[in-house]
Amino acid sequence: MPRDTAFKLTMLLPLVVLTAYFLLLVCSQSAFFSLPEFIRQLGHANIHSAITLSLIAATASTLIAIILAIPSAYALARFDFPGKRLVDTLIDLPMVLTPIALGTLILMSWNTAVGRVLSDFGLTLPFTLAGVILAQFTVVVTISVRMLKTSFEQIDLRQEQVARLLGCTAFGSFRHITLPLARRGILAAIILTWARAIGEFGATVMVAGTAKGQTATLPSSIYLAMSVADLPRAVTLVVILISLSLLVLFGVRKILEKT
Amino acid sequence: MIRIEQLSTSRGDFLLGPIDLDLCKSSYLTVLGPSGSGKTVLLETCMGLLPPETGRVWFDEVDITNIAPEQRLISYLPQDLALFPHLDVKTNILFGARHRKLDQTLSEKRLNDLLDLLDLHNLIDRHDVTTLSGGEKQRVALARALLPGPRLLFLDEPFSALDATIKRQLQLKLREVNQQMGVSILHVTHDQEEAFMLGEQVAIMIDGRVRQIGTRDQIYYQPKTLEVARFLRNQNIFDMTIEEVLPDDSLRLSSDISLTAPGFAGAVVGARIAAGIRSEEIVIIRPNKPIGPELHENLFHATVDDILAFGGCHTLCIRLNENNMNLDVELPNCAMRDLGYEIGDALQVCLRKRSLWTIPVEDSSNLLEESHDLLR
Repeated sequence: MPRDTAFKLTMLLPLVVLTAYFLLLVCSQSAFFSLPEFIRQLGHANIHSAITLSLIAATASTLIAIILAIPSAYALARFDFPGKRLVDTLIDLPMVLTPIALGTLILMSWNTAVGRVLSDFGLTLPFTLAGVILAQFTVVVTISVRMLKTSFEQIDLRQEQVARLLGCTAFGSFRHITLPLARRGILAAIILTWARAIGEFGATVMVAGTAKGQTATLPSSIYLAMSVADLPRAVTLVVILISLSLLVLFGVRKILEKT
Repeated sequence: MIRIEQLSTSRGDFLLGPIDLDLCKSSYLTVLGPSGSGKTVLLETCMGLLPPETGRVWFDEVDITNIAPEQRLISYLPQDLALFPHLDVKTNILFGARHRKLDQTLSEKRLNDLLDLLDLHNLIDRHDVTTLSGGEKQRVALARALLPGPRLLFLDEPFSALDATIKRQLQLKLREVNQQMGVSILHVTHDQEEAFMLGEQVAIMIDGRVRQIGTRDQIYYQPKTLEVARFLRNQNIFDMTIEEVLPDDSLRLSSDISLTAPGFAGAVVGARIAAGIRSEEIVIIRPNKPIGPELHENLFHATVDDILAFGGCHTLCIRLNENNMNLDVELPNCAMRDLGYEIGDALQVCLRKRSLWTIPVEDSSNLLEESHDLLR
């Protein structure tokens, strides 16, 4: 029994330290937080635009990421094809590259033939919403693919095969069996992708800059506020971001508990 | 109905085939083989879930080798049943009717027939299929497979996870389905009892190839290869030489003992053959008991070396007095109780000619040791 207690304490102690650390991070805001100032800041146009821009860009990049990730993840989970391992590794690249480097790569790609053609069609990146969305999409799409691949892999292939033999086409089987069975995984992927997108900073700043009212998202607005020592604004933005993030994390936990 | 011609495929290092099989209308074919022999791969290839490398699959004289699984009109009951957990029992059962666009009245009628046949009335309103018991899941999955009205049903070890009582009930239901609904069934299993109970025809599959196909009795009593004989737990296999081909085509065989056994085409004097007899086919007689003339052939004096008790039977491990050859004799428990044999008892054994099988042997393996290693 004493040995069991020692084991439990060994495991619990680091958890206590971690919890205390994160509580310190969150609660440290309170020293600089005042409710009247928070309410006053909320009325500021730049904060409005940062919130609006962040919500629009995060939702759009999540939508694009999920639409592309669902078939891609299914293909990786179910099919064997030449170069599969290479593709799988390439998709993981945003996970290991720092967002700043990723942003640099995006800007460089706009100087290639493909980028020039897209620019000719009016798709410019610096100081545009498109730039913010593309930067966020590039960072978050890997999360969507990884989460959805795991979700599809957990579905018994036999169920899809039985559906085929009961008259479903391959598309029908995907729609009537695979997607409903993966619905919780898809929902969790959407929420986590969105949460990562709304907090994205490095690649967004590199690609789209931090033009107030144009490309300044919540994270880049925090950076701007801190760079001019505007602490009340920075605190307000941080509180908004923390609230959104906690809301999302609780949402994910609820979904996963139901799984 | 379905004809498989020279079908072969591969999955990783495993090679299937080439395989030839023929399943007639309303018939029941069981494919019996050990785990890993390629039974599931065979079904998957026939259903279009795996591409064949060679060969063709014909359904009613139509080549279905390259058509999509949903167009083959084959229903499938896999080992893990694959019930759809997000659908309730009724929607699971009606899934095929909905996607094959069956007429509403027809599907309702079939649903009611199946509810009666498979005793599903008390389950049809259940919402969560994951809460059903093993036997209930089996019946729901079987109803789902049958509702579209398939003419051909593929079963992949569907009863392997069930206890003996439920398994027997469902096996009897399957026989009813085959006989009453006229559905042809191709059933793969590693369970010998199940294969022989259900299959009008039995195919033995070992290492990706069909080694023998025939009626229950042909497969059980007349194995054509040593692999088949060993797989079907023939314990008593003798390594012998043909001494004489008798006028009635029987063979006089010799080794340490002499036997008269059924002949086969191409038997020549001096050839090495394997002869065998199932342990339940050996007749045992008390030493001094008078016997009829039909038991005088292949009669030997023996001693009981060991007695092994199983659930419903005993196996007497006996030794022939004249050459110390070991034989296993299976007796039902009631017979064992009546005869009351004990270790060391003397007895006579008769290996009746009609119960013996013979197979030409080409390699130089030690048949006697390999066969007896199976039991001990």
